[in-house]
Amino acid sequence: MIILLIYALTILPLALLLIYKIQNVNQLRSQVLGLKKSLDDMDEQAKLIVRTDMELNKIQEELDKKITGLYALQRLSRIISMTLEEEQIFKRIQPEYLNDLGFEKAFGFLWDDEEKQFVLHFCLGYSDDETKKIKSFINNNKERCVNFIADEKTLSSISQNNNLITPEELNGVFNVRSFIVSALLPHQNKKGLIFVGTKNAEIVLTEGDEELIKILATQLAQALENARLFEKTWRAQQELEKKVTERTHELTVAMEEVKKISARKTDFVSSVSHELRTPLTSIKGYAAILLTGKLGDLPKDVRERLEKINRHSDELVHMVNNLLDISRIESGRVTMKAEICNLKEIAAKVEDLLSGQLKERKLDLITEISPDANLILADRTQIERVFINLIGNAMKFTPPEGKITIRSHKPKNMIQVDVSDTGCGIPIEAQEAIFEEFYRVDNTINQEVKGTGLGLALVKYIVEAHGGKIWVKSAVGSGSTFSLTLPTTS
Amino acid sequence: MRVGIGVSTEQDHIKAVKEAAGKAIADLNTEKIDLALVFTTGEFSHSLVLQAIAGIIGPIPLLGASSAAVISSQGTLKHGFIIILFSFSESTYFNADCVKDITLETTLSAGVELGQKLLYGCKNARRNLSVIFSNIDTPNSSSLITGLQQKLGRSFPLIGATVPKNTDHQENFLYFNSQILNNSACGILWGGKLKFNLGIEHGWQPLGKPRYITRATADIVNEIDGLPAVNLYKEYFAKEIPELKRELKRISVFYPLGISISEKKEYLLRSVVSIENDGSLVFRGEVPEGSSIRLMISSKESCLLSARSAAQTAIKDMEGKTIKLALIFNSLSRQALLGRQSAQEIKTVQEVLGENVPLAGIYTSAEQAPLDFINYSLGKTYIHNNSIAVLTIAN
Repeated sequence: MIILLIYALTILPLALLLIYKIQNVNQLRSQVLGLKKSLDDMDEQAKLIVRTDMELNKIQEELDKKITGLYALQRLSRIISMTLEEEQIFKRIQPEYLNDLGFEKAFGFLWDDEEKQFVLHFCLGYSDDETKKIKSFINNNKERCVNFIADEKTLSSISQNNNLITPEELNGVFNVRSFIVSALLPHQNKKGLIFVGTKNAEIVLTEGDEELIKILATQLAQALENARLFEKTWRAQQELEKKVTERTHELTVAMEEVKKISARKTDFVSSVSHELRTPLTSIKGYAAILLTGKLGDLPKDVRERLEKINRHSDELVHMVNNLLDISRIESGRVTMKAEICNLKEIAAKVEDLLSGQLKERKLDLITEISPDANLILADRTQIERVFINLIGNAMKFTPPEGKITIRSHKPKNMIQVDVSDTGCGIPIEAQEAIFEEFYRVDNTINQEVKGTGLGLALVKYIVEAHGGKIWVKSAVGSGSTFSLTLPTTS
Repeated sequence: MRVGIGVSTEQDHIKAVKEAAGKAIADLNTEKIDLALVFTTGEFSHSLVLQAIAGIIGPIPLLGASSAAVISSQGTLKHGFIIILFSFSESTYFNADCVKDITLETTLSAGVELGQKLLYGCKNARRNLSVIFSNIDTPNSSSLITGLQQKLGRSFPLIGATVPKNTDHQENFLYFNSQILNNSACGILWGGKLKFNLGIEHGWQPLGKPRYITRATADIVNEIDGLPAVNLYKEYFAKEIPELKRELKRISVFYPLGISISEKKEYLLRSVVSIENDGSLVFRGEVPEGSSIRLMISSKESCLLSARSAAQTAIKDMEGKTIKLALIFNSLSRQALLGRQSAQEIKTVQEVLGENVPLAGIYTSAEQAPLDFINYSLGKTYIHNNSIAVLTIAN
């Protein structure tokens, strides 16, 4: 009994302990199962994450490839559009651009109409032997290539259905696994084709790749077209420049000839004038002596004739003097003695000189010399002649009660003097010619009034000899304004 | 120590060599050139380029590699040639050598041989650092490091770059003196006075529940949690093997496995290289049997932050020192992940290091470096994937 009691007392705690341990183990097992379930759940989530991540990575890769390709295309387009030489266009396709487009091999041919064959213009990623093989392949299959170009297509290993290049040719000739070929179609230039390819089996071409190469082909064609147009323009310009040079030379020769003739004319006029002046002086002298009556009284008729001789001799002397002056200025034998001259004083002197005639013709001479446009640097005697001529002409062509105005002002670095009248005016077609020697406007006044046609020519020579200009503004019936510029004292 | 760097992006290879070497010599500012490191993009890998270099700098030890892209202070160059010239003081010494024709069977012995060659003449001297370049793709690439560690010591700092043998359409090689090598490894062992520091980060985070490697040999994982290893990816991506094979490059870049390292919070990444028909997965680097692994995921932001962090680690303890050069070994996977923002990564590193620190480096398929360089408690070198290693060198 005691033994049983001792046994029971020993067993019972052990049994309790065992029950407790079993409960603990069950609890731990349940925890482990819970943890395992959590781990499995986590693993399932991880699988989802990994699959999604992989899809995202694929999309990212594709996007990266596209962006890299587009950047390469953009850079390539920019550099090929910057050159206007056909060969340079192809030379600018560098391996780095090709790699960024996803290819490592490329070539381009253009059709040569004279040679009747395709000419290789660039080749990248091929050895010399491979290049030779490609050249002969393309020219042995001219018809196939010409038809392809005529179709204006872009084909690739994914879209060609082995119609353009067979798998054997792809491997044996072009040594690539994937390719894109596109027609080069400049509007008015040699047409051709561009081929890009890769051996990389991992590269899977897409329609987007085809599109990129098509754009590249279009850019190349555009660049070729631009190069052709530039060359055409350049040649035309060269031709034009050549012609201009030839014409300039001809004109220079002609000009020299004109100068020689002009110099001869001046010499001729000068010597003739000198020759004329001597007998004229004698004629005038004898006529004057006869008119004095020292050699006896003259009958009235004779006196009248002698007075005519005297008057005509004066006119002839005046004309000869003008001619001599013109030829002197033309030949450079006359130098202008520049001095500070007062325009007001010159105008007053001329007015004084012509006051009788002005009064006789009932003409009013108005002088409006601005104080800041009064002093000129000129040869006083010559400028007086200019004014006498201009005012003399104005007097001739202005009807009585008319007005002649001398006005000066200072437009920039010169002093401008305008001599205006209210006369009959000058037709437009005669406005340039009046400055030529012996030119006289065809009008009734000129038919009545005598003149040499040398006055304005002389005026022009004198003004130009001072570094100035002369021109006229006039309309028939509205008077004329002769404007001339003269240097200022500064 | 003097360092001179020259960079060229000339299309003509010989012109590029002349331009870059000319700049490097001018930058070095001394006639005594002891060592040259050359990083190029694949198209420069031919003997004429090496001849042109030798013609300019003379017969001095030259090491380097080519890859899809190189790194300079100008940023990432998809076509570029970089040459770094060193002129050491008498208190710094180095030895450079290479092993060739490495096969699956000889990877370990090649590592031992390279270690032995590098130690030649340096046995009694204090050695500091070794930089190794390799371009092997045998599924036991860790053996090369194991072999090197057998000779150089398990906690000796080995920093390395494995360049891919092929990138897209370009073959890549190693450069050693006048040789262009494949299936090879070459390295430099430095000793004496040389101050350096390393930061290495990846920026990937674990996702999903942990799993265990139940059967694996070297870089090949046969089973995970008692099931064919490929089932992990089949489950996560809900794709069958053929589809997974098609997507392998993307999976390798974006979703590597992370091996949990007991002493560290950090995970050692392993990218999938291939999927075998029996459902095994081949990784770039060893995945030990019994390891706890998790699927890893990253984002552009996290990737850029990790580059900043690596650069910050690389300049710790460098106060008062003039950093002569920052060597960068950056994973091609990061370039793929960052896409158009990959240039930002190098800018970030330059920003942290300072604009006066010259950068030079290469894009890699795998990186080798200790896990924790600063504390040195975990000085053992591991193979890393998807990481950026920034090695700063000062006098």
